[in-house]
Amino acid sequence: MSLPYLLAELTRRPRRTLFAILSVASGVALFVSLQAYATGYREAARAPLAEIGADIAAQRQGEVPEAFDGIVFPHSTAPIHREEIEAVRRLPGVEAVGESVLFWDFESEQFLVVLGLDPSATSGPGRLRAAVTEGRFLAADERGVAAADVTFARERHLRVGDRVSIAGQPFTVVGLVDTSRAGQVANANLYVPLADARALSHEAPNVRAVHDFRADDANLLFIKANQAQIDGVTASVASLLGDEALVSSTRSFSQTLGEAYRLVDRFGWLVGLAGLGVAAAALLRAMSANLWERRRDIGVMRAVGWRRIDIVRQLASELIALALAGVGVGLAGAVVISFILSQTTVTVPVPWELSPTPHFLPGGAKSMAVTIHLPAQVSSQTAFIALGLALLGSAAVAIGLAGWAARIKPAEVLRSE
Amino acid sequence: MNDLLQTDHLGKEYGSVRAVSDVSMSVAAGEFVAIMGRSGSGKTTLLHLLTGLESATSGRILFQGQDISQLDEDRLALWRREHVGLVFQSFHLIPTLSAVENAAFPLYPTTIPPGERGQRALARLEQVGLVHRADHRPGQLSGGEQQRVAIARALVNHPHLILADEPTGNLDSQTGAEIMNLFRKLNREEGVAVIIVTHDPDIAAVADRLIEMKDGSIVNHDSQAHGMLAQI
Repeated sequence: MSLPYLLAELTRRPRRTLFAILSVASGVALFVSLQAYATGYREAARAPLAEIGADIAAQRQGEVPEAFDGIVFPHSTAPIHREEIEAVRRLPGVEAVGESVLFWDFESEQFLVVLGLDPSATSGPGRLRAAVTEGRFLAADERGVAAADVTFARERHLRVGDRVSIAGQPFTVVGLVDTSRAGQVANANLYVPLADARALSHEAPNVRAVHDFRADDANLLFIKANQAQIDGVTASVASLLGDEALVSSTRSFSQTLGEAYRLVDRFGWLVGLAGLGVAAAALLRAMSANLWERRRDIGVMRAVGWRRIDIVRQLASELIALALAGVGVGLAGAVVISFILSQTTVTVPVPWELSPTPHFLPGGAKSMAVTIHLPAQVSSQTAFIALGLALLGSAAVAIGLAGWAARIKPAEVLRSE
Repeated sequence: MNDLLQTDHLGKEYGSVRAVSDVSMSVAAGEFVAIMGRSGSGKTTLLHLLTGLESATSGRILFQGQDISQLDEDRLALWRREHVGLVFQSFHLIPTLSAVENAAFPLYPTTIPPGERGQRALARLEQVGLVHRADHRPGQLSGGEQQRVAIARALVNHPHLILADEPTGNLDSQTGAEIMNLFRKLNREEGVAVIIVTHDPDIAAVADRLIEMKDGSIVNHDSQAHGMLAQI
């Protein structure tokens, strides 16, 4: 392969070079941008659960409380028993399970949403520790303490060190947490140690009236799973918890993102591959027209002593150089497009059952949503796939065209008119 | 005389058309031969057979005693690279390459280092009086200059034989005379054998020997060329 000849052909036929590079670049940019867009939406769908370090939230529908007095469970958070929790923990693909107990406390002078959590858990609301604005977060094995949501604390004029009453039992506020920083899922007014929440719920008459809530049960599970197995784990958890299971995962959030996402998710690959196909066809057209124009040059190559393999190498190198340049320009274009996409925001609706407030209370009927910038980024994996496909396509075009060119009969093209 | 090239009952047919028929001829090393004939007489086809650009349907071609008609296309290409320089009526330069790059073009697929290729090409351009136009592309050169570049390209591999197909056909008479002067000079100074195909008797007159063709056959082997270059 002659580099001077290669460079001369690329730089001294600027229209052909530009057309070929832009053809490949547009296909690559379309392919990579669509994948970035789809991945951005997929990441956005993960956001509500990712904010609390989980991939799946599992709960179960149950009976509506008989009376809204004292501690009651929202009807979307019926008990999940210990053996069920352990069975979930043993499922293939499950990496960690965070347990919580969510309840409402209806008192004569106040209404509270309380979440019992394990501060040492790596998944689930334990991650709220990163959202502490004042004081400290709950410590492991601690009892009788609470962390208050800052908005709730402001409304109630609560400060660190104050005492609050939950179902008549005193809890010391040890810290304030800005729940909004940690997302919209499983928000509460007060966060207490899981053991306290279990004990209070276990003894609550209006819980016992409709539920068999045992001392080591939970009613919300936050599951961290292997990314490749999330769908399987979701299905298995739903199956384990029975017909009343409410299992939220990335996929369930994806389904709330609307038609545009579904189209991109379903047809993104297809459209992207079609774009690459069109690019390959355009490259083929440009190069075949170019080689047809250059058939006399190819005849000269044969006449002055180039072997067929020399010609194939030379022409294939040209094509591959054009394809590589096209991929480079296409990837740069995709980065720009992805940056523009990432400036747009996407709103992910959060199902009511994941942060239940009674609909009869102020704000209870308000729909919740997580709004984030679309995390559209060009992934190295997609870039490599685009590079591989473009090189494969151009190699196929190169072998076909260069093979044709090498078979040109010099005597036919070199005869003078 | 020491034969460089010899043909033995060479023939070429295109279907029922006999383009070259039963041609037996020889060219000695350092000889300057003109093949002359009217349009359609088969002289260009004969030249293509001699260069291996077309394969004969009968007969054989011996170069320095080796039967080149038995070689496959790639071996023929290598044989041309090693022994033969070709010059065409339409010059056939690569339009994207400069004069020096065109002159070096046969050496591109070789293992000769790029610097040495350039030096050899420049030396040949100097020999044809065009070193001052080395960086110009064919589109920036006159017809005569382009043909000089083509001759430099034909010489760059130090050939034993130059085959030229109507090398002055696209040039005015003055430039044509200069090109023929150049061929004559190369033939005398370098000892390279030259076979020129032409339909122009004045051009043919420059040669040591004239071979006349008619209807694909040689009708006169040994016409002594008697015109002088100065008279062209």
